[in-house]
Amino acid sequence: MRGADYVIKRTAFAVLTVFVALTINFALFRLAPGSAVSNLSRVPHATQELRQALKRQFGLDKSKGAQYVLYLKQLVHGNLGISFENQQPVSHNLWIALKNTLPMVLVGTLFAIVLGTLTGVIAAWRRGTLAESATVTTALSFYSMPTHWLGLMLVILFTGILPTGGMSNDFLINPSFWTHIRDVASHMVLPSLTLGLVLYGEYTLIVRSAMLETLGEDYILTARAKGLTPWTIIRKHALRNAMLPIVTLVALSLGYIVAGAILIETVFSWPGIGRAVYDAVLQRDYPMLQGAFLLLTVSVVFFNLLADLLYFKLDPRITS
Amino acid sequence: MSVVLNEPGLAVEGEPVRSRGGFVWRTVRRRPSATVGATLLLLVLLGAGLAPWVAPYPLHQQVGPVFGHPSWSHPLGLDDGGIDMVTLLMWGARISLVVGFAATLVSMLIGGSIGLLAGYFGGRTDVVLMRITDYFLVIPDVPLMIVVAAIWGPSLFHIVIVIGILLWTSTARVIRAQVKSVRERVYVKRARSLGAGHTRILVRHVVPQVAPLLIANTVLTIAVAIFDETALSFLGLGDPSRTSLGKIIENAFQRAAISSGAWWAIVPPGALVAVIILGCSLLGGALEDALNPRLRVAHLSARTFRLRPLVGRSAESI
Amino acid sequence: MQKRRLATLALGAAISVAVFAAAAGGSGAKSGGTFRIGTSSGIDSLNPYVAFNQDAYATFQYIYPILVQYDDNLHFAPFFARSWKASNGGKTWTFKTQPNAKWSDGQPLTAADAAWTINTDIKYQGSGAANEAGLIAHITRAEASNPTTLVVHYKHAPGNVLGQFQQFFILPKHIWSKHTGHKGADLKTFPNNAPIVGSGPFKLVKFQKNEIALFQRNGSYWGKKPQIDAFGLRQFSNDDAMISALKAHEIDALETVPATAIKSLRRAGFTISDVRGLDQTDFIINSNPKKKKHRELLSLKVKEAFAHAIDRKQIIDVVFLGTATPADSIIPAPTGPWHNPNLKPETFDLRLANTILDKLGYKKGSDGIRVAKGHKMSYDVIAPTSVGSITRTFQILQPDFKKIGVQLREKALDATAAFDLMSGPNGKYQGFDLAMWDWTALIDPDFMLSVTTCAQYGGWSDSAFCDKTYDRMYSQQQLTPDQNKRRQIVWKMQKYLYDHRPYIWLANDDAVTAVSPKWTGFMNTPQGPFNELNISSLTSVHQK
Repeated sequence: MRGADYVIKRTAFAVLTVFVALTINFALFRLAPGSAVSNLSRVPHATQELRQALKRQFGLDKSKGAQYVLYLKQLVHGNLGISFENQQPVSHNLWIALKNTLPMVLVGTLFAIVLGTLTGVIAAWRRGTLAESATVTTALSFYSMPTHWLGLMLVILFTGILPTGGMSNDFLINPSFWTHIRDVASHMVLPSLTLGLVLYGEYTLIVRSAMLETLGEDYILTARAKGLTPWTIIRKHALRNAMLPIVTLVALSLGYIVAGAILIETVFSWPGIGRAVYDAVLQRDYPMLQGAFLLLTVSVVFFNLLADLLYFKLDPRITS
Repeated sequence: MSVVLNEPGLAVEGEPVRSRGGFVWRTVRRRPSATVGATLLLLVLLGAGLAPWVAPYPLHQQVGPVFGHPSWSHPLGLDDGGIDMVTLLMWGARISLVVGFAATLVSMLIGGSIGLLAGYFGGRTDVVLMRITDYFLVIPDVPLMIVVAAIWGPSLFHIVIVIGILLWTSTARVIRAQVKSVRERVYVKRARSLGAGHTRILVRHVVPQVAPLLIANTVLTIAVAIFDETALSFLGLGDPSRTSLGKIIENAFQRAAISSGAWWAIVPPGALVAVIILGCSLLGGALEDALNPRLRVAHLSARTFRLRPLVGRSAESI
Repeated sequence: MQKRRLATLALGAAISVAVFAAAAGGSGAKSGGTFRIGTSSGIDSLNPYVAFNQDAYATFQYIYPILVQYDDNLHFAPFFARSWKASNGGKTWTFKTQPNAKWSDGQPLTAADAAWTINTDIKYQGSGAANEAGLIAHITRAEASNPTTLVVHYKHAPGNVLGQFQQFFILPKHIWSKHTGHKGADLKTFPNNAPIVGSGPFKLVKFQKNEIALFQRNGSYWGKKPQIDAFGLRQFSNDDAMISALKAHEIDALETVPATAIKSLRRAGFTISDVRGLDQTDFIINSNPKKKKHRELLSLKVKEAFAHAIDRKQIIDVVFLGTATPADSIIPAPTGPWHNPNLKPETFDLRLANTILDKLGYKKGSDGIRVAKGHKMSYDVIAPTSVGSITRTFQILQPDFKKIGVQLREKALDATAAFDLMSGPNGKYQGFDLAMWDWTALIDPDFMLSVTTCAQYGGWSDSAFCDKTYDRMYSQQQLTPDQNKRRQIVWKMQKYLYDHRPYIWLANDDAVTAVSPKWTGFMNTPQGPFNELNISSLTSVHQK
C-alpha cells in the first residue's frame, strides 16, 4: 500500500463515515417518542398558542425532509443550531461542557499511562516473581471494576478529606489565580483518580508484553554483559518497543473516553459533556443531540484515523 | 497486544486445533490464569443458578428496616426496600449473567456471520461489510444506548439488543482476520478445486478452525456485556422491574446510600460484578493466548464499552 | 470631693458594664455573610419566557418586582402593589404601586413597567410570550394612569386575579422593549445573562448553568432588606455529592433532603425542618370516555376496588420513611382553606376490594387473575423514570393487586416518552390503561383543577378525564370573584373527582430541608425554602 494512497483513502472513508453517521443520527432522534414541544409546553400557564409557537420556533412544523436539508445547510456554515432547552447556540453549550470534561479526562489518562508503564516495567523485569503476579493481578482487578462503582468506593473512602462533588468551590468570590487552580485541582483528584485506576491495567499489560518480547533478545543480553544498569537498558531499548502500542492505545482511547466519562461525571457531579448528552436525550433537544453526536463521532473517527496513520507510519513490520 | 498473561511455551503457533471442547478444558487445566478465571466464574454461576432454591429470603419481601445494618441473620444488611442483600446478590447475578449471555449471543451471531462472510468471500462483499462495521464502530455508545432506551423503553429485551448491536464489531473483525488466513490454507484450496460448494467448505473446514477463537472472543465479550448492563442501569436506563447487579447499585445510589452510611448496599454488588468480569478476562485471555500467543487480535477495553480490535494491523483492516 | 469622684467612677463603671453587656451579644443576630444553598434540580434558564423549573421561578421571585405575595399564613400580602381595589363588577382592578422605586441600574421602576409587561404578553401571547399566556387570560389591556397606579381591564370578572398576579414577574421596559423583534420571537432568544437588571432584595450577579447562581444584596431595593450580603444556589447532579458538601461545610443548607439521609444529618448536628408539602404521588386510571380497550376500567366500582387495594401506610413507611401523609384529594391539605377536609383516603381493605369485584361478576381464573368482559384483568402501568419513588411504590402495589385478582406490569419509560404514549396517538389518549406519576400543586387551586378538564387534552391532562359537569364547575370557579363562594365550588369539584377517580392519590410528601446550626431564619414552606410563594426565607436568614 503506497503511503499517500493509504492516507487519502482512509481520510476519505473517515469523512464518508461521519456523513453517514449524522444522517442516521438525524433520523434516529426523531424516532424517539415525544418531542421537546410537549416537554417545554408543560408549564402551568400553557395554552395551545404556546405549543404552536414552540413548534414553529423549533422548525418542527416543517416536514422531516425539509428539516434535514435545513440542518445540512446550517452545518455547512458551521452553525450547529440553537438548543431547544435554553435557546442558546449549541456550539456554545457544547464548548462549555467540553472544556469541563477534557482536563479531567486528560489528567486521568496521563495518570493511567504513568502508573501503567511503571507497573508494566516492574512486572516484566521481575518476571516469575511474586512482584509480577501481584502487579498484574492488581492491575487486572482494578481493570475489572465498574467505573462508577470504583468512583463510589472512592467517595466513601474520601468523604470529608477531599471534595467529592462538583468542579470547583463556586463560592470563592474572585479567587486569586493560584487559589482557583488549587481549588479545581482538589476537586479533580477523585474523578481523575477513578479514571486512571480503571484504565491503567491496559497499559500495564501492554508495556509488560512489549518489554518481555524485547528483554528476551540477544542485544539485551549483550547490554547486561556490558554492565549497563537495568534502568538504562529498560529506557533505551525495551520501553521503545512499547511506545508504538501505547501511542496507538492512547489515540484510540481519547476518541471514546469523552463519551465514556459520563459515568464518572454522574458520580462526581461533574458538569461535563456526558451529562449534557444525557439531559439532551431526556429533553428531546434535537439540536443539542445532533451537535453532541457529531462532536463525539468526529472525535472518534479522527482519533481512529490518527491511530491508523500513526501505526502505519511507525510500525516497522508493515512494509509495502 | 491482547490483554493476556503471557505464558510462553504452552502453545504452538498456527496449528489447526482439532477438538474445540478439548481445547478449552486443556487450557483451563494447564494455565493458572485460566484456572482461576474459570473457578471464579463457576462459583458465581453456581450461586446465581441455585438462587431460587438456596437464597435465604424471598426476593420481594421486606424483612427489616430500610438500609438495615448487617447482622448475623443478614450478613450483608438490607437494601433501600428492606430486602436481604445476600438474596438480592444471588438473584441479581442471575439477571446480570442472563443479560450478559444473551447480549453476547446476539453479538456473536451478527459479528460471527459478518466476519465469516467478509473474510471468506473477500472482494466487494468484504468492502461493503467492513464499511458497515466502520459505521457501527464510530457510534458514540452511551448516547446511543440512552436514545434507544428512550425510543423503546428500558426493558431487559431492549437492553440486550442494544448491547449486542454495539459489541458485534470487534468479533466481526477478529473472525474476518482468522477466516482470511484459514482460507489460504492448502486443504481449503484443494477442496475448492475439487468443486466443493461454499457452504460445505464454510461448515466443514472454516468454522471448526475459527470456533476456538470464537469461544475465546465470546468469553471476553460476556465481560464487556455485563459491564455495559451495569453502566446502563446506573444511568437509569435499566429495566426497573428486574433487579440486576447494576440496578442494585443504582437503587442504593438514588436513595443516598452513602450519605446514610449504608455502604453494604453498594460495595458487595459492585465487587461481585468485578469478580465476574475478572473471571471472564482471565479465562478469555488465556484461551486466546493458548490459541496463538502471537495472534494478538483482540483488545479488551471494557472501559470504553467494547472490545476494540487492534487497528492498523496490516492490510486486513483496510 | 471624694464622694463625687467615687460616684462618677461608679457611674462610669456601670455605664461601661452596660455597654459591654449589650455588645457581648444580647440579641445575637449577626448580619452579613454569604448563605450557600445546595440543590439537585436547578435553574434551567434566566429568561422568564423560557424557564420552567421551580428554582428558576423562585429566582425570579427574588429579583423581579411582583404585585402581591403570600404571607406566612398563605394569605395575599402587599408586595410591589401597596394596595388594590376591584371595581366595575370585578372587571377592573386598580393597584397602587411602590413610589420612588428604582431598578438595579438606577432607572425608575413604576407602574408603567407593569403595564408594559402585561400588554407585551397580551400582544405576543401567540409567539414569544406564549409561556405567560395563561397568566394574562381574560385581560384586555393594562395602563399606568400615573407612576404609582396600575389599572388592569378584564373581559370577564375572574376569581383568581391575585393568585395569577402572584406568579407574574414585572420586567424592566427599558431593557426588554429592545427584544420584541421578529414578532415577539426575540423575547425567547434573549439570554438575559447575569448581571440581570431587576428590582428585588437581591440581584443575580453570576450564573453558570448546572453549576451555580450567585445573588448579591440589592442596595437600591425599596422593601425589606435582607440580613445577608449574598447567597448562592449550587447545583449537584446527585444527592450524595450534595449531602457530602453540606457535611464538609462547603454549603450551608439543602433545598430538599432525601428521606434516607435525615437520620444521619440530624446526628451530624444539622437542623432538619419537615413540613407538609405540595407534592403528591398518584395512581392514574385512564378515564377517557371514548376509550376503546379495557373499558371495564371506566367503571366507578372497579376504580373504588383498586383504591381499597392500596396500602398507603406501607408506601409511606418504605418509600418515604415516614416523611409523608396519606393523600386524598387533587388539592393537597397544605393549600389551606382550598383543600376539602371532608375527603378521607380510602381504607386499605383487600376483602372489601375483592367483594366489590366479585359482585361485578369478574371471576378469578385458575391463575388467580380475574376475567372481565372476556379478557384477563392484566394491565401495563406506565412508570416515568423521572419520578424516583415509583418503582418501590409499584413493588408494594403489585402483590396487593395480585391478591384481588388484578395483574400489573411495570412499563418504564422516560418522562417524555411516557407522556407521549399516554396522550397518544395525537392527543386521543388511546394508548394506556394505568400509570403512576406525581403532581406539585400551587397554592391557588385553579391550575390543579384545570388538569382534569377537557381543554387540557394534549396539554396537562394525563388522566384523559373529560366531563361536562366538571368543566362547567371549573369555568364557574374561575369567574367567581367572591372567594368564599369560589371555595364552595372548589370543594364540590374535589368531591366530584374523588367519586369519579381519574386519580387515586397515594402520598403527600413533606418538604424537608437541612440547615447548618450556624444559621437560622431559613424558612421552610410547603414549597420548600427557596420557593415561588414569597421572599421570606432569604430575607430572614442570618448567622447566629
